[in-house]
Amino acid sequence: MKKVWVLFVALIAAVVLAACGGESSSAPSQTNEGGTTEAGGGEIEEFVYASTSDVAGLSPILTNDSVSANVQEHVYETLFERDTDTGELIPSLAESYENPDELTWIFKIREDVVFHDGTPLNAESVKYTFDKLRDPATAAPRASLLEPVDEITVEDEFTVKITTKYPYGPFLASLAHSNAAIVSPTADQAQDLMSNPVGSGPFKFVSYTPGDQVVLEAFEDYRDGAPDIKKLVFKVVPEISTAISMLQTGEVDFIDNLPSEQIARIESIQNVDIEKKDGTSVFYLAFNQSRPENQDENFRKAVAAAVDRDTFVGKLNGLGLRSDSVLGPMVFGYNESKNAAGQAYDPELAKQLVEENGYGDRTISLLTANRDNFILMAEIAQAQLTEAGFNVKIETMEWATFLDTARAGQFDITFLSWANLTQDGSEMFYPNLHTDNIGSSNRAQYSNAEFDELVDASRTSVDQEERLNYLDQANGLLLEQNDVVVMYHGVVTGAMNSEYTNLILEPNGKWTLKDVTRK
Amino acid sequence: MITLIVRRVGELLLLLLGISFLVFGSMYIAPGDPASMIGGPTATEADLENIRENLGLNDPFLVQYGRYLGNAVQGDFGYSYQTKQSVADAIAVRFPNTLKLAIASMVVAVVIGLVAGLISALRHNSWLDFTSTTFALAGISIPNFWLGALLILVFAVNLQWLPVGGLSEPFYTAEGFKQLILPAITLGTGSAAMIARMTRSSMLEVVRADYVRTARAKGVKETKVIWVHTLKNAMIPVITVIGLNFGFLLGGTIITEKVFAINGVGRLMIDAIAMRDFPLVQGSVLLVATLFVVVNLIVDIVYTYVDPRIKYE
Repeated sequence: MKKVWVLFVALIAAVVLAACGGESSSAPSQTNEGGTTEAGGGEIEEFVYASTSDVAGLSPILTNDSVSANVQEHVYETLFERDTDTGELIPSLAESYENPDELTWIFKIREDVVFHDGTPLNAESVKYTFDKLRDPATAAPRASLLEPVDEITVEDEFTVKITTKYPYGPFLASLAHSNAAIVSPTADQAQDLMSNPVGSGPFKFVSYTPGDQVVLEAFEDYRDGAPDIKKLVFKVVPEISTAISMLQTGEVDFIDNLPSEQIARIESIQNVDIEKKDGTSVFYLAFNQSRPENQDENFRKAVAAAVDRDTFVGKLNGLGLRSDSVLGPMVFGYNESKNAAGQAYDPELAKQLVEENGYGDRTISLLTANRDNFILMAEIAQAQLTEAGFNVKIETMEWATFLDTARAGQFDITFLSWANLTQDGSEMFYPNLHTDNIGSSNRAQYSNAEFDELVDASRTSVDQEERLNYLDQANGLLLEQNDVVVMYHGVVTGAMNSEYTNLILEPNGKWTLKDVTRK
Repeated sequence: MITLIVRRVGELLLLLLGISFLVFGSMYIAPGDPASMIGGPTATEADLENIRENLGLNDPFLVQYGRYLGNAVQGDFGYSYQTKQSVADAIAVRFPNTLKLAIASMVVAVVIGLVAGLISALRHNSWLDFTSTTFALAGISIPNFWLGALLILVFAVNLQWLPVGGLSEPFYTAEGFKQLILPAITLGTGSAAMIARMTRSSMLEVVRADYVRTARAKGVKETKVIWVHTLKNAMIPVITVIGLNFGFLLGGTIITEKVFAINGVGRLMIDAIAMRDFPLVQGSVLLVATLFVVVNLIVDIVYTYVDPRIKYE
């Protein structure tokens, strides 16, 4: 018997010794893994970003998710991009453009750009990419970006002409979308870009292990000069707290999309800098307007008066921006005057309206997805609405079921969000609130002829001043009738190893690492 | 024995047919549209319709199932809706990680579980027994998520002895071995506790059997009584527990894989379900079912070696 006991003790000792034995050798190797190896000068031999999800694929034509876009934006480029500070659309692969009439766009393409496979980027590449994106046989998830396009013609080697079926105001914003990035036609015909992408961006593809990581390397012939990061790894770390631990130990150099409840922990890590920027995303309470009881203006007013958005934003640890405006400060169409244009928090008014109209007699179903801050919003709103006399029942669903249920209009009120990648107000209003999209992306089932007209005008005008005016009016209309109750506007975040600097965070939640260098 | 194997393979084929129908049927009627998950929130109805048509999702259920089955019998398990990668490739990339983790955690579980169970049984009602059963209870009760996070915090973040996560290095290298330690302990603890409890109760039962008393009366040495007469006979239920646990582990361990950023089958399956990636869900479930049947078959075969009285006609 003693032998068994000795064996047990020996086993425990062996495990402990094995762990102890790692101390001297593992610490430096972890440092190497994290990409902190000195490469001399400003060069960074390896830089690791941790993402909580895997990419869906590496072709901008066949994907439409933010994780894939993060990788793609380092491999591919678009004709236009947004200035990260002003939000203004600026040429990227396009050198210049002209609008001879409302339906015609002529783009001059830069002449000094080559794809990673050596193919020159020219007007043919642009035509090839856009034709493929809008071809129904491709079944591209974001074919709608080019839905207004009628014809694409190559005028000369570096000039492409695009005619649209109707005047389309947000066209340049669509061309700045990561799904409208230009791919190498030679590569696309020879290989599968989903697993072997070829673009003209600052990094070129090295390898992809599904579910694990994507590895890129600096493109030495990049037109603006090769980036300092020589090897860039996009690593999948599904659990955010694990990713934060890896950031702390140096196994990872950068994470984004920081959850508000983890901010304090990340702030306490010495070797990490947090960056924040006002974002384009909006989170709002929506009514199912296909139900007659929700079309009652007083009902919506009572709900809006009962929900204290200031208190909610206070719980986000600085990761939310309070404004009633549906279009946030970083979105084209925003007007400061709409910041307080919605129904203010007024619990007494809410109680009075509930009592007068008997709103407490029916059960309101509050549908919510079980992700991010949605459950928190739902729970706080339920408590405040109950306080005002409403009878609210929360229905929580996983994302795919939620999308289906909301699309089918099986709820009274719900919380929705919109990332607004193009940063254009028309691109928020049209899919989410225009009558055309009831049954698909207009989950609020909202239908208002006056609003539709204003949104249509904002889409079909190419005069940007006019567009601002239409969008502002549409925004005002939503707030006036409490059709949308904005909970908060997102703040984009990133946490990076403090050895490095020059991370570019964009308001739409994207970021670029091409300028990252040592401090 | 050959009969047993042939019969089990026949049963496996029928089982796989039944499971494929059930999985296909339940994914078909489950809420959530694969096209919405591919198209994302910005896709318009026209985009979604195009995707559905392209994937054949507009066809009637039996047409879709028949097509799947027809391809599957030819060894083609389809392509992921999301990544367009073949299902076989997607699983082949991840299964080695799951296998590595399952074996490592079973080693931890069997070694700790057997030793603790034996000590408990042989020192019945002593402080050793009490300590061992308390640890076994704790092992069963502690959630993997909590234990994993705690181990990371202590051994990876604070002491920096081991890496936080990943399983990318080959297991026979020092780095690969270190990557395995924390997830194997996290995953093995629950199984170890179960094995310990089963070993203890089974040993206590056998120790009181007549043939053990006879062996002692004959003057057989105590070590021989324990290792040959008692332990071997007490092993049948323990082997069953080990087999069942190993079967579960091979099916992927979602939480441990997630906490330790391991690219395994469990994570693949849960992500595929969330994204309504039907071909991937189907492929992973069929793999898990096959592994379960194979492990059970191996367990049945092992029984005959442990207890020669067991014979399969």
